[in-house]
Amino acid sequence: MSNFFRSLPKHVKTAFISIFRHLAMSLSAISAVTVTLLLFSTFLMIAGNISLFTKNIEDDLRIHVVLQPDVVKQADLDNVQKDIEGIQGVKKVTFSDADHELELMIKEHGEDFKMYRGKENPLSNAFFVSVKDADTIAAISKQIEQLDHVKQTMYGGTSVPKMVSMVDSIRFGGMIFVILLTLLALFLISNSIKMTIYARNAEIAIMRNVGATNWYIKVPFMLEGILIGLLGAILPCIFTYFGYPYLYEMLGGQIVTSLFGLQPIYPFTLQICAALLGFGMLVGLIGSFLSTTKYLHWKR
Amino acid sequence: MIRLENVSKEYKNGVHALRDINLTIEDGEFVYIIGPTGSGKSTLIKLLDGEEIPNSGTVMVENINVGKLKHSKVPVYRRNIGVVFQDFRLLPRMTIFENIAFALEVIGMKKVDIRRRVREVLELVSLQDKAKAFPDELSGGQQQRATIGRAIANHPKVLIADEPTGNLDPQMSAEIMDLLEKINEVEHATIVMVTHDSTIVDRFKKRTICLEEGYVIADIMKGGYLKHE
Repeated sequence: MSNFFRSLPKHVKTAFISIFRHLAMSLSAISAVTVTLLLFSTFLMIAGNISLFTKNIEDDLRIHVVLQPDVVKQADLDNVQKDIEGIQGVKKVTFSDADHELELMIKEHGEDFKMYRGKENPLSNAFFVSVKDADTIAAISKQIEQLDHVKQTMYGGTSVPKMVSMVDSIRFGGMIFVILLTLLALFLISNSIKMTIYARNAEIAIMRNVGATNWYIKVPFMLEGILIGLLGAILPCIFTYFGYPYLYEMLGGQIVTSLFGLQPIYPFTLQICAALLGFGMLVGLIGSFLSTTKYLHWKR
Repeated sequence: MIRLENVSKEYKNGVHALRDINLTIEDGEFVYIIGPTGSGKSTLIKLLDGEEIPNSGTVMVENINVGKLKHSKVPVYRRNIGVVFQDFRLLPRMTIFENIAFALEVIGMKKVDIRRRVREVLELVSLQDKAKAFPDELSGGQQQRATIGRAIANHPKVLIADEPTGNLDPQMSAEIMDLLEKINEVEHATIVMVTHDSTIVDRFKKRTICLEEGYVIADIMKGGYLKHE
């Protein structure tokens, strides 16, 4: 192990030199990584926000159960709550009294409703019911409507589950695209490393002759692969670091409604940059490992 | 000690390179291996440095069964043997000093020790004043001395020289022979030298093993090139 660290600076130097010696090959591998990571970055930005949207949407996925105005006794309220909780598929039931309802109304429809504060409050008590599965929301809502003391039920509309599944398929398609690009980048990196190996054939032969272990021979090539991955990640990182805040400012932090609020710039962009760097290095490492192992394996 | 027992080697393309070879070379010996092209000399070297595995028989070098070595153990085994080639195989972008140091860096020796040992070796092969020169600035004989220096830097117990004088004129060849004899004495290395050069074999008399078509056809202790009638 101490040998490894002693020779590490030399290995790093070798890796740098050989990237510049085969500049064309290195550049093609680097640009493959760059393209892959640019798309990966876009994908991450979209996916990160979509998962936030879905979370918001799913929060919205609850039934507003408005009770008859005359239901005020605690015993009756408890009974209704128990009845609702008894329905299959119900996740959580929260009580919202008339005053709370009014505050929500004010928040949603404006200050004009402030005048109803106090005894004038025309609203009645209500419950918020969240369900386990978005698809069952219509059925459960209907069931609740049949209960005693319930005046009406409302929920976020039938388009919600459809949207969730659409978002899921976008995510899936993007993932496949990114995987294919990753394979391309892997191929190009391992090809580039292969060129380096052939160019340094004589050196490798001498290393073998004087008793260098396979690992000693492999390390510079693997470092070269990692470096290619890192260099390829620089542009996508810049793109993410400056592009996302720009987009965020332009859209004002949300798409149309607050339901589609965007991920805050920090730590989101930093997380993506870290993922890109890590992913670039990993692809470089795997690509170079494949070609060195293949080349060195059948020689004694 | 090098001991070959009933060693046969047949390549995948059907060429019988060695047939039932039995051979013992004692520690500190200096032997020639001679024979025409295709007689199995190169195969014998490849068996000794672990590059090839015999089809049958055992190759023992310093009590290590070379043919049975695991892939990962071959590099460590190779540190016991130095190899010198006809075509030198120096790295062109490195100075002579760096070329010799390279062999020691590769096995993870400390920098201070490397510097000391390389100076020692340069002195042994009389290239002290060429330490900073690049290989293409040296004559063939000097380059071959440098490769010999690289091969012995790690104190190998066995030095294998594959036609070390093949590319050199007679005077330089004699220089190389003097150097090899010196190494044989100073470093106590066993030297196995493959050669075509009859004048050398006749002039520097040593044990001579003659291969032909994969058989050992003569093993002459008093030396001298085999004359075909």
